[in-house]
Amino acid sequence: MKNFHVAIIGGGIIGSTIAWELSRYKLNTIVFEKGSDVASGTSKANSGVVHSGINSRPTSLKAKFCVEGNQLFQQLSDQLGFSVKFTGKYVIARNNEEIKELKKLKQVGEQNGVPNLEIKTEINEPNVPCEAALWVPTAGIVSPYQMTIAFAENAAINNVEFLLETEVVGIKKQNETFLIKTNKGEFKSNIIVNAAGLNCRSIVSMLEKPDFNIYPCRGEYLILDKNYNNLVSSMIYPIPPREVDVLGVHITPTIEGNILLGPSAEFIEDPEDKKTTKEMMNQLLIEAKKIIPSIPDKGVISAYSGTRCKLASPEEGRWADYRIEESKQTPGLINLLGIESPGLTAAPAIAKYVTELVSKHFDLKEKTGFKVKKQGKRFNELSKEEQSKLIKKDSRWGRIVCRCEHITEKEVIDALSNPLGAKTLSSVKYRCRAGMGRCQGGFCTQHIVRIMEEKFNVDVKDINLKSPESYLFVGRTREVKND
Amino acid sequence: MVEKEITCIVCPIGCKIFVRMDGTNIKKIDGYKCKRGIGYARSEVLDPRRVLTSSVLVSNGEWPLVSVKTSKPIPKNKIFDVLKIIRNTKVKAPVKIGQVIIKNVAETKIDIIATKSVK
Amino acid sequence: MIEHSVDVAVIGGGPAGLAAAVSARENGAKDALILDRNSWLGGILPQCIHDGFGVEETGISMTGPEYANMYTNAVKKQAIDVWNETMVLEFNKKLEITAVNKKGLHKIKTKSIILAMGCREKTRWNVLIPGDRPSGIFTAGVAQAFINLYNILPGKNVVILGSGDVGLIMARRLKLEGANVLGVVEILPYASGLPRNVVQCLDDYDIPMFLNHTITCIKGRGRLESVTIAQVGKNMNILPETKQEIKCDTLLLSLGLIPENELSKGAGIELDNITGGPVVDQDYMTSISGVFACGNCLQVYDTVDALAVGAKHAGKYAVTWKSKNDGLKVKSGKDVRYVVPQKITKKGTTRFTLRVEKPMQNVTFYVKSGGDEIFKKKLRWVNPANMVEINVDISDKMINSKKDLEVSIDG
Repeated sequence: MKNFHVAIIGGGIIGSTIAWELSRYKLNTIVFEKGSDVASGTSKANSGVVHSGINSRPTSLKAKFCVEGNQLFQQLSDQLGFSVKFTGKYVIARNNEEIKELKKLKQVGEQNGVPNLEIKTEINEPNVPCEAALWVPTAGIVSPYQMTIAFAENAAINNVEFLLETEVVGIKKQNETFLIKTNKGEFKSNIIVNAAGLNCRSIVSMLEKPDFNIYPCRGEYLILDKNYNNLVSSMIYPIPPREVDVLGVHITPTIEGNILLGPSAEFIEDPEDKKTTKEMMNQLLIEAKKIIPSIPDKGVISAYSGTRCKLASPEEGRWADYRIEESKQTPGLINLLGIESPGLTAAPAIAKYVTELVSKHFDLKEKTGFKVKKQGKRFNELSKEEQSKLIKKDSRWGRIVCRCEHITEKEVIDALSNPLGAKTLSSVKYRCRAGMGRCQGGFCTQHIVRIMEEKFNVDVKDINLKSPESYLFVGRTREVKND
Repeated sequence: MVEKEITCIVCPIGCKIFVRMDGTNIKKIDGYKCKRGIGYARSEVLDPRRVLTSSVLVSNGEWPLVSVKTSKPIPKNKIFDVLKIIRNTKVKAPVKIGQVIIKNVAETKIDIIATKSVK
Repeated sequence: MIEHSVDVAVIGGGPAGLAAAVSARENGAKDALILDRNSWLGGILPQCIHDGFGVEETGISMTGPEYANMYTNAVKKQAIDVWNETMVLEFNKKLEITAVNKKGLHKIKTKSIILAMGCREKTRWNVLIPGDRPSGIFTAGVAQAFINLYNILPGKNVVILGSGDVGLIMARRLKLEGANVLGVVEILPYASGLPRNVVQCLDDYDIPMFLNHTITCIKGRGRLESVTIAQVGKNMNILPETKQEIKCDTLLLSLGLIPENELSKGAGIELDNITGGPVVDQDYMTSISGVFACGNCLQVYDTVDALAVGAKHAGKYAVTWKSKNDGLKVKSGKDVRYVVPQKITKKGTTRFTLRVEKPMQNVTFYVKSGGDEIFKKKLRWVNPANMVEINVDISDKMINSKKDLEVSIDG
């Protein structure tokens, strides 16, 4: 049985950024991810916002890590290649009551150390009617799955082991070591980093009686066709509504050029319930049109939902701070609990903090030869000269298999060759974007399937959408018979 | 005396045709809007037939399957027998469009022919 | 970029592109080039292994591949150039096309361009079906490609949403391949496909149809587990007491087709919101001189025969066109959803294709020029799922009057 220094449970944005930070040091680190790829849970199903910190309670960890994390994004983007764009955000006010709220929000932001906040009476958004708005220039957008994949793959090429489709089913503490039982075998580790998101409580309960509950809160989103991306250039948020049944829908441009409407917020029983509902989809559109009247009725190309891991119930006020700490009862168990918004923004800062916690157990020695896998530009982002050069070098750059987003065969092959070994249709989608356009895989799916069969020898029965149970096909129309 | 209602499939209109019959004797046909309907109705009640289209496995071809059809309509009640034979057939590439893949399938005196070429 | 020039370039090598390219050469084009994104010619035809193609055009009922073969033989005979696995990235008003394939980036200068990009299928999100997002949901055309081209079976216990011809054909196909086809769900009170397909695909195999029903929820964590269907009332509102859950592992969506016009939009071509395709005149020329549109990217056709007539016409005029004139508008009046062409620029017998708003019996179509009746035709039955064709004589007088035309139904 291989011994690890650190075992990270959960390959979401939190687990992946921690894995990357730790991968600089001479440590044996392993990540257990029960999904078929990293970012299988909430990490891929959020707004992709790099928050400024104006929405966080002053002196909370949420505020601290959010503001710290925000400042790290540009440098991380430059280093690892995932895209980030500081589009800025307008929090809009449509009457005097709301303008008063804007002023309060500005104060909170300044208390949290958010720079350059400004209340404007005229905003640079012709499609958004309002009386005034708070301009937040340090708010930005990122592709949350592209970012998670960048951290995870960089950790992997620096010798962090990633075990996908591996679920932790039991943990025992034996002296200074944890014995971790998974569906793929047993492992030993000195430290456990519990970054299991919605499953964080079940991990804790394998070792001790949890002193907390989690309250899953689902958020639904709608994605608009790229044809409407000229409706807004910055994020548009209304003042958080007082009424309970009003969502306060956000309008968020995405890094790839779509627009997101959402999220909703609905407390649910089952954390795995990722349904989208007719009621919410309708409500999202209605409320979005109140903010931007010119949003079309028929512009939606997709819908999804993501679930927040809240530590406070509606009765308890829905708000609780992050809990990032080593368990007093179980030394060596580092828990990350309740990492909801601004979790994506906070992740790089949280990862540094967790590394500090780990350093209390080991002398962290930096590796030499730290590798970087920087995500390159997409084919469709390159100049015609660059495109021609690439095709000359490798003709697979010249065959387009995704007609909506103009993704090439080479990019699909690169996606399937990822260092984590993820080979589902979704792992292709989240790496190179094929399947995310308006035809939603109508053209590319058959070509990606052929590439998986021919170039990666995947049997048709083993081709999955996103998880081990999500098989695509049941077999052959006609079987090969032995003559 | 029995009255059967059938929908004609000869053209897109799809007339509802009523056929009154006594055993295998057709007494009356009405509801059709053209002559072709009479012919279809008669055959449909006495000897219903369909063109069957399907696929046959190809070995060593640029495509794994070749699309095929029955060279003429076959009796409806033979469809699944014919399919069973088609499912157990394999043909070697190259296949030429129009090529006979199975002769006199299931003793219908009708052939299964390729509807495309596979190199 | 590698530079080329050709008289007529056809974007799309499906039935429309093939017919248009052949017609262009037959009408004197010095050369012609077909650009298609797939490794084969024929577009959707090779996967349509069922028959029913070409009945009007040739008198014989052919299968899709046989119909395609007829045209690919003509393409060879006419020495038309074909580039497969080639994606057109854009074209402009100067009639220059930018395309990419394994040989590199290409700039193609042309004397005319024929748009024949076809259409794509509506997805689950075009109608916002709520629920989980499991695997096992396919649009009907994609399922058809897997079964017929790639030798791959998508599932065993199948529900089909939408009773258009594609859905009906796939119901039969799956049944013949041993699947358990649980039913076809259709929101309208009648099947939107042809009666002959309802007979040959559903009745023949005892596959039930749930009319006036829609899917209200999809359930499945990994793979599809069930769909919930419910009846709809007169206003398309769900009647919650009629909900029933159908266990299944595969859902085929046959929700309709959307003409593909991203390239057209990129070039600034004027589009018709109702058809989803370019506004064209009687010669199928779009708002850009020298650019023609035909096939499903112009309007969704019901039969390949009707489509081929338009495509051949477009191919002919792509060779013989002269500069564009201002013309009369053709408006769709009472109970007519749309009419193509939307513009008339010269006299002659013009073939109009149109769809009605709702099913009706014993109707009279009127064509009026500035309010004066110039054409009348009676039809016994019409419905939106069946395209209507009328041939109307347009005179010089009508052109010179500059009065718009209107096609409507009275009665």
